Amino acid sequence: MKSVLFATLLVAACPLTAFGQTANDLLNAEHTPQNVLTYGMSYSQQRFSPLTQINRQTVKRLVPAWSYSMNNNTGEESQPLVYNGVVYITSQNKTVAVDALTGKAIWNTPIDYPSDTTRVVCCGIVNRGAAIYDGKVFRTTLDARVIALDMKTGKQIWSVKSGDAKDGIAMTGAPLIADGVLMVGMAGAEYGSRGYVEAYDPNDGRRLWRHYTVPRPGEPGADSWPDHAANASGGSSWTTGAFDPALDLVYWGIGNPAPWNALLRRGDDLYTNSILALRPKTGEVVWYFQTSPNDPFDHDNITSIILADLTIDGRPAKVLLQAGRNGFYYVLDRKTGELIAANPYVKVTWASGVDKETGRPKWTETTKKAIAYTDQIETWPHITGGTNWYPSSFDPRTATAYVNTTDYGMKYQPDPVEEIKNLKPGDAYRGVKITPIYNADGMRGHLRAIDPLTGKSKWAIPFKSPNWAGTLVTAGGLVFTGELTGEFIAVDSDTGKILWQFQTPSGIIGQPVTWEHDGKQYVTVASGTGGVYVLKTPDPNLAHVPPGGTLWTFKLMDE
Amino acid sequence: MTGAYRACRPPLAGGLAFLRHRSRGRVVLCALCLLVAASAHALAQDEAVASGERLYAKYCSNCHGDDLQNNSGVAFDLRRLKADEHARFVNSVLHGKNAMPSWQGVLAPAQLDDLWAYIRAHAYEQ
Repeated sequence: MKSVLFATLLVAACPLTAFGQTANDLLNAEHTPQNVLTYGMSYSQQRFSPLTQINRQTVKRLVPAWSYSMNNNTGEESQPLVYNGVVYITSQNKTVAVDALTGKAIWNTPIDYPSDTTRVVCCGIVNRGAAIYDGKVFRTTLDARVIALDMKTGKQIWSVKSGDAKDGIAMTGAPLIADGVLMVGMAGAEYGSRGYVEAYDPNDGRRLWRHYTVPRPGEPGADSWPDHAANASGGSSWTTGAFDPALDLVYWGIGNPAPWNALLRRGDDLYTNSILALRPKTGEVVWYFQTSPNDPFDHDNITSIILADLTIDGRPAKVLLQAGRNGFYYVLDRKTGELIAANPYVKVTWASGVDKETGRPKWTETTKKAIAYTDQIETWPHITGGTNWYPSSFDPRTATAYVNTTDYGMKYQPDPVEEIKNLKPGDAYRGVKITPIYNADGMRGHLRAIDPLTGKSKWAIPFKSPNWAGTLVTAGGLVFTGELTGEFIAVDSDTGKILWQFQTPSGIIGQPVTWEHDGKQYVTVASGTGGVYVLKTPDPNLAHVPPGGTLWTFKLMDE
Repeated sequence: MTGAYRACRPPLAGGLAFLRHRSRGRVVLCALCLLVAASAHALAQDEAVASGERLYAKYCSNCHGDDLQNNSGVAFDLRRLKADEHARFVNSVLHGKNAMPSWQGVLAPAQLDDLWAYIRAHAYEQ
């Protein structure tokens, strides 16, 4: 009886031990490679794993362990999370927990939303992942809700409405748990929404703060919208920030101003196209760095943010890395926001460089024209950017970033002001005509190994269609990523040679992760074509790639 | 427009014989009337297609692809719509289908007609 009582008390005292994980677990994510606990695989978002069982020599024995149908045809951009033998993954229409060893579903919770929701979803009917903490799975939904599910059963614990489609707001990004709060971003600059980042109490969904990313008259930054601060819009926040617990700062990428056409919005348009360094508990902005002021090219600064420790001029430096959508690779001091380096990593013609002192781009004459007149110009990169939302990875041992890049330019012509002067939230906020300019060799993208300080590629592999998937790098000397034609590939991180590939049933726009269970290493990735490039850009190379979401896990075949 | 057609209408009782008994000038006038009517119709059609193209770029191209060019079947390839599928088109636009939203209350009936004109002008099967 005494032992039963003791067991009961123990269970009561630790009700979440089996299905929770703590703030400490999240802090130590990069030292516990058996699990994948956060978006980006750790708070630094390096997507680097110290696991070595699958390596350059053994990768030839990599085979599927299982696959699981996502029963979804709209695209799988989600990053799987793995915790104690369970894979948690989202899609636009469901959240799923799958047994990590067998591929059998443990629970499957559908998402429903009103039929007008996707009117304001510009760039793929997708979701990019979940956060797990304290026995709950957190995610966002297309109709701009933030929800918490029971990690064990999939049952909804709370749901809060963050934004509305009539205001141009949707949600597709993975949340971030930082310093005990749940942070989320939103999408909608293409529909004239006013951007924000916000935080909730993970326990009950109570909103703790909301920080708007574009000001109203009288607020900081309002004078950077001299023409119409009252209606300043854009600055969405549709990917996930990185967190430095020692500095207690979350770094969140903020997107483009709205509309793309800049004729009616002179000024820097703060805080669009910026990185915000925020206190997670309060939302206080400690510093900001703007990459593309007064941007007419949709150089939406939401590409992945990586935290790293580099040695610069013989001295250790705590830095923030970002392959900017505008084509420059940025290295910032992450304590102060000071610029350390910004060099082009793809062809860039909109600016001749970045001023080291001010951090401002040096506009070329064609860019000056694009901001003031309706003439057609040619510029690189395309609005798609040098890269896009799909996250890059970073090997801290060699200080090399692995980035899928898009390598083409565009003819760009702003519509006359009559076309944009009466826009209201919910309308399409573009107002430009764009025609891609592809390279003569027919290669629209590369996987590149980039030196962050110079922007130069150590190697680059060309692809007919740009890869729209995240990258993962391992201590086994491998970079994993996926192609839009469905090949899941492993590349030698030193040479860029493709060592292994597996044809999945659809195009890959997901984010590979690796993990370990009982001494065996696994790699998991979702397949399922979709996303803005596939939907919008004519590409004959993709004519025969069928849709259809599947989740794949690979392991080494026994010798 | 209706008036022009009426002026050219041949007398039914006389059949084609009227051609022999009427002046050549009347025949030429009728031909011109038909030409003008056809041109006006074509012009109206061109305007509808152009308007449809603008509406398509604004409301549809994010999912159905720039210039109706659709890569991989994630969204329906609208060029597959046939001449007799107007009702299917209208139903999908007004009520949504799968991940496609409902556009009721956003797109007016005349705008639907323009979109249909644009899509049909580029359909695989005319």
